[in-house]
Amino acid sequence: MLKYCKTWFNERFGIDDLVSSKFRLFPVPKDAGFMSTLGAVALVAFLIQVLTGILLIMYYVPHPDHAFTSVQIITNEVPFGWLFRLMHVAGANLLIIVLFVHLAHVFWKASYKKPRELTWLTGAITLFLVFGFSITGSLLPWNQLSYWSTTVVTSIPSVLPWAGEWISLFLRGGTSISGITLSRFYAFHVAVLPIIAILFGWLHVFSVWRIGFAPSLKEERLPWKEFRHELHTVSKPYYPVFFTEQLRSVMLYLAAVFFIIAFFPDLFFGPGSHVVANPLQTPADIRPHFYFRAFQKVLEIVPNKTVGVCIHLIIAVIFLFWPFFDTEPERNIAKRPILLFLFFLTVVLWFVFTIWGGY
Amino acid sequence: MRYAFTIILLTVLAVPAHAGYRELFEKEFMRTPWAIVKWEGSACIGCHTADTMEERFRDIPAQWKKSWHYKNNVSCHDCHGGDQEDATMAMSHQRGFVGVPTYGEVPEFCGKCHLRILDKYQDSGHGIALRTDNSGPNCVTCHGSHDIQQANIDIINETLCSQCHTYERAKLMKQALFLVESRLDDVRAQLDALKGAGVLVDKEEKAFFNTHVEFRALFHSVDVDLVKAKTDIYNERLDRIEGDISEIHKALDFRRNFAAFLFLLFLSMAGILMLLIRQR
Repeated sequence: MLKYCKTWFNERFGIDDLVSSKFRLFPVPKDAGFMSTLGAVALVAFLIQVLTGILLIMYYVPHPDHAFTSVQIITNEVPFGWLFRLMHVAGANLLIIVLFVHLAHVFWKASYKKPRELTWLTGAITLFLVFGFSITGSLLPWNQLSYWSTTVVTSIPSVLPWAGEWISLFLRGGTSISGITLSRFYAFHVAVLPIIAILFGWLHVFSVWRIGFAPSLKEERLPWKEFRHELHTVSKPYYPVFFTEQLRSVMLYLAAVFFIIAFFPDLFFGPGSHVVANPLQTPADIRPHFYFRAFQKVLEIVPNKTVGVCIHLIIAVIFLFWPFFDTEPERNIAKRPILLFLFFLTVVLWFVFTIWGGY
Repeated sequence: MRYAFTIILLTVLAVPAHAGYRELFEKEFMRTPWAIVKWEGSACIGCHTADTMEERFRDIPAQWKKSWHYKNNVSCHDCHGGDQEDATMAMSHQRGFVGVPTYGEVPEFCGKCHLRILDKYQDSGHGIALRTDNSGPNCVTCHGSHDIQQANIDIINETLCSQCHTYERAKLMKQALFLVESRLDDVRAQLDALKGAGVLVDKEEKAFFNTHVEFRALFHSVDVDLVKAKTDIYNERLDRIEGDISEIHKALDFRRNFAAFLFLLFLSMAGILMLLIRQR
């Protein structure tokens, strides 16, 4: 029966041909290991977020009077609602960790260099969109942490000259966080951002699929004069070899998600996460999610807030267009001491500010 | 010329249209409870913290901010009436302002909210003494007023009770209350812990609140024998709540075990795939 179905579809779609031409013959550098599979892990993690998000939407009520209760009902009364919600929360945080590691690996291997500038750019935009998901999604449970951290986040643009106040007003839909902000963030979280993220995510995957994986440092690199599929001197087929490796990494990711849900379910819930938002009571200690703490600490220590926000904007622009700034043909970072120093400095500073921001 | 005229016309029309929309938007959305734009200021606090206020009244808002009432969003006008949103009418009797009650009026004043306690108190020795010759204690005698704290068994103490009578009878009452009171504290701690972990305990909290309030009301009868006689009833009710809490813990254990099972399942699958990769 299974064989009949396979033949039936094969006659119509040419599945064997598709697998053979697009996957079996798709070359991956022989030394592409665990770190090279993180892009696929991020993709699967994003799809899990979409799936669990859809399940949460079915019960979530985006209204200040009901949002907190609806989240509590999802977690405590909807059958297996706790599982989907915790998968969504743990998955969101782990997705960002996976993206950070993926980004560091791409930087280390200089995989962003010509002709992969657009792969970097679309990936970087997707990362920013994931931050957008995090900011908009964290308000939705309408708890003290989400309410007051959104108050802080939406006040940040107001320090910018000219359009700053307008951006803050636009984000909040008024002078303070209200039901309008909730509706607005909900619309962005479930409708606007997913469409843009799927577009840029698809462009990112499409560019990898069209050009192919970046060659390893050991491979000799031919000058890139016109479009071609990357031909690796020593390679392995994408399917089934590299695909199995990606599948292994996805399984490890899922194991990590369920490990957190089983043994540290409160890991990503800060103080005030289980208390309904109260606009009249400011909690003593509001800390952002771990991946924003470094940015927040920089804002705190820079005496002028406008300068602090501008520093972030400049870093964001350099980060987005990094392949166009770094035009040096040498790909081995070990042979570029200044870049190597900058890389480690950035990583160390990020960790220091993140830990410092937690106190 | 035609295009320039059209642009000017559109701009002229767009300005009032935009302004009208903004006004409507402000009125319909921004200032309705739906948008939870609440009154954040208070005329009472505004005046009572002003330098022009008599010193003995100026400290009241600071005391209130430390109180159990403040933590539970009970504000000045909830007890004293009046209109806290309008400074000119804040102390208007037409808006229900009652101001400071006399010594004998205090129980009725607090009893507007604490109904069951008022009933028991009125029938008690304390209430009768207050009504007959104004000699009995009122609510403020034991609980204080603006800096009122969450009541607990320690409120029955020698210093406080021996202001009016010997401590012996109060001590017997404290002993009679002790068992249920300590269980109430224990159950409250369990409910707080579950709530802090994001568990929905509304039903259990409601049952606990009723038990707690009724027991506290019973105490205000200051009848030791009645408290002793009803101790079993309250113990049974607390048993039921603890039974529900134990069911919640079982559900939480199931969650942990189910997630742990999925963790092991995916870890095993990763292990199998690793072996497959190594074999190649």
